Amino acid sequence: MIGEIAHFFSLSAALLLIITLLLNTIFFFSNPNSNQLILSIRLFNQSCWLIFVSFGLYIYLAITDDFSISYIASHSNSQLPIFYKIASIWSAHEGSMFLWIVFLALWSSLFINGLDKNNPLKKLTLIMLILVILGFLLFLLITSNPFSRILPFGVMDGADINPILQDPALAIHPPILYLGYVGFVISFSYVMAYLCKGNFKIEWEEDIRAWSFVAWIFLTVGITLGSWWAYYELGWGGYWFWDPVENVALLPWLAATAFMHSLYASSKSNILKTWTLFLGIMIFSLSLFGAFIVRSGIIDSVHSFANDPQRGLYLLGFSGLMTLLSLVIFAYRIPAINSSKPVITGSKESFLSMNNILMVTSIFSIFLGVTYPLILESFSGEKVSIGPPYYNTIFAPLILIASILIMISVDSLWQRKMLARKFFRSIIPTFILVTSIIYIFWSLIKEFSLLAYIGIFSGLIILVAYFIKIISSLKAKEYINKGSAFAHIGLGILFLSISVNSLLSYQKNINLSVGESLRINESIESFKFSNLNVRTASNHDVISANVFVLMDGVSVNLNPEKRKYSTRGQITSETAIHATPFKDIYLNIGDQLEDGSWTFSLKINYFVKWIWLSSALMVLGMVLAMQKRKI
Amino acid sequence: MSFLARIFLILLPVLIFIFYGKVLLIDDKKSNDYFEPKEFPVFQLNNFDGIPTNLDIISGVKLLNVWASWCITCLVEHPFLSKLAESQIEIIGLNYKDDKTKALDWLKRHGNPYTSLIYDPRGDLAFDLGVTGAPETFLIVDQKIVGHIQGELNEDKWKSTFLPIIQNSQKELN
Repeated sequence: MIGEIAHFFSLSAALLLIITLLLNTIFFFSNPNSNQLILSIRLFNQSCWLIFVSFGLYIYLAITDDFSISYIASHSNSQLPIFYKIASIWSAHEGSMFLWIVFLALWSSLFINGLDKNNPLKKLTLIMLILVILGFLLFLLITSNPFSRILPFGVMDGADINPILQDPALAIHPPILYLGYVGFVISFSYVMAYLCKGNFKIEWEEDIRAWSFVAWIFLTVGITLGSWWAYYELGWGGYWFWDPVENVALLPWLAATAFMHSLYASSKSNILKTWTLFLGIMIFSLSLFGAFIVRSGIIDSVHSFANDPQRGLYLLGFSGLMTLLSLVIFAYRIPAINSSKPVITGSKESFLSMNNILMVTSIFSIFLGVTYPLILESFSGEKVSIGPPYYNTIFAPLILIASILIMISVDSLWQRKMLARKFFRSIIPTFILVTSIIYIFWSLIKEFSLLAYIGIFSGLIILVAYFIKIISSLKAKEYINKGSAFAHIGLGILFLSISVNSLLSYQKNINLSVGESLRINESIESFKFSNLNVRTASNHDVISANVFVLMDGVSVNLNPEKRKYSTRGQITSETAIHATPFKDIYLNIGDQLEDGSWTFSLKINYFVKWIWLSSALMVLGMVLAMQKRKI
Repeated sequence: MSFLARIFLILLPVLIFIFYGKVLLIDDKKSNDYFEPKEFPVFQLNNFDGIPTNLDIISGVKLLNVWASWCITCLVEHPFLSKLAESQIEIIGLNYKDDKTKALDWLKRHGNPYTSLIYDPRGDLAFDLGVTGAPETFLIVDQKIVGHIQGELNEDKWKSTFLPIIQNSQKELN
């Protein structure tokens, strides 16, 4: 019964949104300050509440193990802890779509109610928000109903959540990521309202600045959590796989990052307006495109949901319609907006616009990487997969150019030419310092890879440039933009740690019987497989190896496990990780061979902690930048 | 921004969306319309009574349904299988990686839609068939696999995938 009530609430929300939309169409030309706007917002708030309550009831159904709901029956289990019963809701397509809509409604209602009642863009923003929510809500109810029941009888127990998803990082990864994705609906709707309105004197940037910052932070944290989870749970030893779904999450992130930069510029000094508007549209279109890729099953990936062409077509139609509609309006309005101040070469905004171009280039490259296999397959029937080599080769030069621009721009000023004296004063020491650091580094490790050294060089010039800038401005007691400094230092650390990681990390496959030990190299003097334990946990059996590794004079105890889950019969591998500041020991146990020995895969991963640190610094930088008021 | 640039800005996404739409529709056709017939693999397994079964039980038009008592979706598709059984369609049940007593108990509790059963506790035959999990259903005509559905078999999939193949093969016979 509760399931039907929840379903009814969602249906009513959709109906109410349609009514509000019709009401606004009928009274399109009426005065926006009339009661009609107040009524629309009231109706809108009520439908948001209906969605929230419906989702609340759905959580209740999941907690109370209502296995007559087929979605809950196939993704939850009575043995699960409550936390995972709730998390099982977003472990597959229907429930995660529901969560997505809840967040859409949450962001939208918070934003629209927080706007001043005389805001000229309020009505159009509301219409845009309703269009987006309605599009997704109808998608949920028509093609992927989470409320449908198994009739005439339910099942005794659920099929269980996939064991590799039974992990705290993964349980919170989707909600945080969605909060980020969906958060950009606000900038999108506001930008569209501004473009539709046609009154270009309105100052809109300040109204969405904080919202976009928060959405960016959620998106970044969400992506990092996913990457962190992949590192310690999947057991492949990597943190980023250029998987199509990772790529489609990166697309809006890149667009959003470019958007934040250009929003900063246009809210500060009325420049790069067209860019900001364009990127505002891009972020959301790319989010929609991402939803289509993930949920249509058009591309095989670890993330993709079951293949269903009906869903695919709906989402393709919806995202295509929204994107085209917004681009047409943008292209129609653009000549009128093209009146912002000219960009002076060498000024801060000139670097920002170059940064925008680079970001759009990288978006296009990733987009091509995702689409190319499909193009090839549809024309020649040949199946290819595009992986790390493509992306690494494409990104190395882009990163290099971006880093050099960041380095130069550290000392640049808004709307002013850069002084040649200043330019050389900061760049020459940076180059000398970085080159000598790289030379020392190379002479120590004697390993070379062009791509990795490009990355190391890029990371270092950012770090050194900011280092010099911080020291000189502390000395001269000059103002320094803390947010930007933190975020860019984070970026420098990211480039540096990824490159060092790819250069130095190595893997050894080991084959040992219980009680044996082995010397691996100078750093790992002994690898001892001391014993093997078998035990039974609540819903799985465990084989756990007890291994002692003597690395750089320190003995470390590691317990990699293999688990067999009883409900689904799935076997998972639990990686044992010993993380030190500069390198991680990453150990997986494999299969038993015929002679009774076991295989292990030992990976030594460098600078992984620094990758997480870099993301934390970028988020911190954004938090600081968010607090800063317009000058 | 020039007029051409603006047109390009709109045209590029249009092309992209048309392309993706095309891929989506082609993929859909590919998976439904054509299935390369394969010989049914040779096997030697017992049924639940311990009596050996082999290729002999597979003749004429048969469905082979891979199921297990631990499989929830099998329970979901069970009513439809029973309906098929009532309409004189012969279904062989391949019990997959299951416990014998649990499987028998399951059949007793929910009813047995199968005309014959193969007990495959280690998944030997299932491996040869290329089964990735339960439930899966194969359509077999004269010891040749002519259709394969992964996941729940329901009215829609039956009508769109298996029924046309059966009608075609009957036409050919006549």
